[in-house]
Amino acid sequence: MAGTRTIEVQQDVRAALRQQAAELRDEFTRQGTLVVNLLSSPGAGKTSLLEATARFWNGRFRCGVLVGDLETDRDAQRLAPLVPTRQLTTGGACHLELPLVRQGLERLREDIGNQPLDFLLIENIGNLVCPASHDLAEHLRVVVLSTTEGDDKPGKYPKMFRTSHAMVISKSDLLPHVPFSVDAAIADARLIRPEIEAFQVCSLRNDGLQEWCQFLQHTRERMVTGDEVLAPLR
Amino acid sequence: MHERSLVVALLRQAESIADAHGAVGIEAIRVELGPLSGVDSTLVRLAFEQETRGTRHDGVNLVLDEIPISGVCRGCGMNWTSAEVRFSCPSCRSQAIQITGGDEFRLLELQVTDDTVEHEAAEGDD
Repeated sequence: MAGTRTIEVQQDVRAALRQQAAELRDEFTRQGTLVVNLLSSPGAGKTSLLEATARFWNGRFRCGVLVGDLETDRDAQRLAPLVPTRQLTTGGACHLELPLVRQGLERLREDIGNQPLDFLLIENIGNLVCPASHDLAEHLRVVVLSTTEGDDKPGKYPKMFRTSHAMVISKSDLLPHVPFSVDAAIADARLIRPEIEAFQVCSLRNDGLQEWCQFLQHTRERMVTGDEVLAPLR
Repeated sequence: MHERSLVVALLRQAESIADAHGAVGIEAIRVELGPLSGVDSTLVRLAFEQETRGTRHDGVNLVLDEIPISGVCRGCGMNWTSAEVRFSCPSCRSQAIQITGGDEFRLLELQVTDDTVEHEAAEGDD
């Protein structure tokens, strides 16, 4: 007669994927590649920020971009003239996951002749919810919040802001025309993640790009020297 | 939508563990999730029902524990829990806290049925 018994497991269902992400992140660290996961609501200005970043650096660093969308390669078309780019299309999934990022990374590496990158910039699917729960092997998680959104948004998306190292307030040129308060938005985010770095940009006019790019550069330097070990935030 | 892929991953994980322990079948799967897991318990239950129906796991009991957030305060040292999402210490209000739980979807235990028929016959008395 068959009996029943209990097997104790105590394991995260996503443990294997997390471990893979951690290993890939270590590999990037060894290669001196700073990986950035850029997140936001749809239309907050992620692609524009990447375009402006690429223009600002103007070839000074070896950059690669992976851009995720449900459909089309419109964003990749915008970025490709400025920086080596590969489009990831999910066909329906509302967030990027590591396996798809790996596939795109392989193709991107081939495109650039397997040269090591200084920066790998990953533009996630426009979504403030699900991407917060998926490690893409990034060092830095950055959330973009535009001035046409509510300055009380951070509290509504706690996991997103809790797990982000930095926030970029985009479309700063519209501030005179919208009720958005930069101070309020930053304060709301700092209730959730006190150490979150905050930047203001207008990608169309290249305002605030220097501070933003310097932040990326300094972060990379600290990673390369080992002064800082960048890991996912809880 | 990804509750479905999570449930698929859960079932694979359970199968793999059950196999490794020489178990014949799974009777129950106990999981826990918290407010910061990014996972919805209702959708998990729904996806579980859909993924197991008509398969060999049809009838497996999913036991789902909803757990609170747990954290430790670097200010006053307190270990705390909260059913609601919060990022400050309930005791001293410090924001110097670390989240220690409630942000994962964890497989806790499996209840499995053993393939013990042949072994019992071979061993005779217990």
